[in-house]
Amino acid sequence: MEAVTQYLLTGLSVGSVYAMVGLGFYVMWTAAKAVNFNFGDIFMLGAVLTVVAIDQGIPLLPAAVLAVAAAAIAAAAIERGFVRPFNREANAIGWMLTTIAVGTMIESATTALFGSNPRGLPSPLAETPIRLGGAGIYPQELLLPVALIIVAVGLELFYRRTMLGRAMRAVAWNRTAAGLVGIDADRITLIAFGIAGVLGALAGLLIGPVVQASSTMGAVIGLKGFMVAIIAGIANARGVVIAGVLYGVAEKFIEGYLSTAARDAIGFTLMVLLLLLFPQGLFGRKEIKKV
Amino acid sequence: MTHHATAGIAPQLASPRPRRKLLRSALLGGFALAAASASPATAQRAEPCIGISMEVTGPLANQGLMLRIALETALDKINAAGGVLGRPLRLVIYDDVGEPARAVDNARRIGERDNCVVMFGGARTPNAIALREPLAEMGLPWVGSISAGTGVIEHPGGRNEWMFRVSMKDRWVTEYLIQQAKARSQSGKIAFVYEGTAWGQGALPDIEAAARRNNVTLAGRETFNIGDQDMSAQMIRLRDAGVDTVVLWAVDRESANMLRSMDRIGWKPRIISAWGLTTAFARAVGPLAEGIMVAGTFNWNGPLSPAAQAAFDAMKAKFPDRIRTTADMEQPSAMANAWDAIHITVEALKIAGAYDRTRLRDAMFRVNYTGLVADYRPAFIRGNQERMDAVLPEAYKLQAFHNGMLMPIEATPFGMRN
Repeated sequence: MEAVTQYLLTGLSVGSVYAMVGLGFYVMWTAAKAVNFNFGDIFMLGAVLTVVAIDQGIPLLPAAVLAVAAAAIAAAAIERGFVRPFNREANAIGWMLTTIAVGTMIESATTALFGSNPRGLPSPLAETPIRLGGAGIYPQELLLPVALIIVAVGLELFYRRTMLGRAMRAVAWNRTAAGLVGIDADRITLIAFGIAGVLGALAGLLIGPVVQASSTMGAVIGLKGFMVAIIAGIANARGVVIAGVLYGVAEKFIEGYLSTAARDAIGFTLMVLLLLLFPQGLFGRKEIKKV
Repeated sequence: MTHHATAGIAPQLASPRPRRKLLRSALLGGFALAAASASPATAQRAEPCIGISMEVTGPLANQGLMLRIALETALDKINAAGGVLGRPLRLVIYDDVGEPARAVDNARRIGERDNCVVMFGGARTPNAIALREPLAEMGLPWVGSISAGTGVIEHPGGRNEWMFRVSMKDRWVTEYLIQQAKARSQSGKIAFVYEGTAWGQGALPDIEAAARRNNVTLAGRETFNIGDQDMSAQMIRLRDAGVDTVVLWAVDRESANMLRSMDRIGWKPRIISAWGLTTAFARAVGPLAEGIMVAGTFNWNGPLSPAAQAAFDAMKAKFPDRIRTTADMEQPSAMANAWDAIHITVEALKIAGAYDRTRLRDAMFRVNYTGLVADYRPAFIRGNQERMDAVLPEAYKLQAFHNGMLMPIEATPFGMRN
């Protein structure tokens, strides 16, 4: 029972990270029908830039705000410089290559400037775990599902209740028609990538105190965030949240009862099988195009 | 050599043998000539440079930086004293990004384009193993001071002629770790936790063999993937198996995440680790590192000999932004190994009397040298590839993290002396 409790707790925490990164992919995709494939680097910047800001003598909370803002600007800049110019034509795929290239550059530059060693990100919530019998969790990790709920509800309200959110939905629905009614689709897409950057950086910032900040911390997380977005159906935010959390919990049970070493192999196999059964994703709907 | 081969063919040309036989003899002679001229034995004048392929960028770039600090400082000292054989020695650094293919490419540059007299190696065992054939083809001596994989030095069929090491050897390290764990475990339940890389998986058979030799039955074997952020499942299994001592084979980041997982479930076994843990690990996890023991060859935080103090002072003077106190020597053993490796190589060059790779290789077996890590008498033994490792298990030392520093274990409250 202790083991089950532990797997549920850590699975919930890790799954929340996957879901927040997956939501970042959702926001990018709905606005641009393109994503930053190396979004894991934005996740990494959230943690690394916080450490850098703390090194400069800035207290934790302002440092965190600065880091998230800087990562969001970086995400928007990637859209402007490496996605938009390569996503002009229908069915363009150049942005795939350019976002992977710029991600590699960001990771290399971070290694050179920040160093290859992981660095602790100090947080009072990551010092003493809360113990439940033989299981336990750091309060910092409990922040992740809380943040996920706030972010998911906030996004829903943003898309439904604000002019900017409605404009984003309009662009997602029909970019040309949105332009005809006066919506600046390029500007909306830029903002969407910036919002995605906030989500990714926030996830990195929140898990950083538990797993340390390092230049390579985002590679696997970015891949898994993308994976859960695809499993869910990338255009369904609620589905992304559910798929992310479920995948995180499933991973822990695979580690606990099947195989640690084969965890990712089993997880990715599961993803392929699910996509075979549900080509639009678990929660996706088939797109109907009127001709 | 060329003259003799030509003379061997000439009488055959003069005899009345059938044309086909003549042609065959000429071809054989030609091949012999070509083979003789390509043989490493004829490799002649090389440049006074040490080429090194290591991780300048990539996840282990910090290990590369620590190597550079030790090697460049040692070379400054050597060159200030007049160099070697009247010429200054240069260090040529290539980045392998941790990839074996890049390491091979760099070795070709060092051996063929730069024509360096010797090559030094970086941190990764797979990269060093990938160099076995290219080094033998080029006749280029190689000296490692980190990569500890047994196969780096002990080649199949005992064929190692060119690769030397002034570092630990995994087969000996595993024996040492098991013995230390056995001496410290109260329940006798010892487990092995290792990373799922070539380095970690390569150690598993050595650990199992060492356990058998020491009458230890491993109570658990757990692995994890690079980048894993939670290892609760593995730690729960070990805790429930009653394990009280963990032999660890991992590097900083994942080891820190493992400690967090132990902390979550309130389990604190004794940990005795291979030398993948550095002072950066202690900085990352804070008090959780307290008491973790690490095998190594040298510790800068204990009492230093005059030679070691001089080496540290020189590194501090040359790299004042990076080395301020002995706690900044993040790879303490590797830095001492590298310091000794370059001095052993210089001694061998003096014995060789020329910048000639083959003569340098042969001279390596004649070096006797008192270094920081050990008294190398001799450094290497010809015809015994097991002893192309200079640092013997007798020189291994147990260290422990105490107050955020990696200290000699006798300077900490954590148990027995070595």
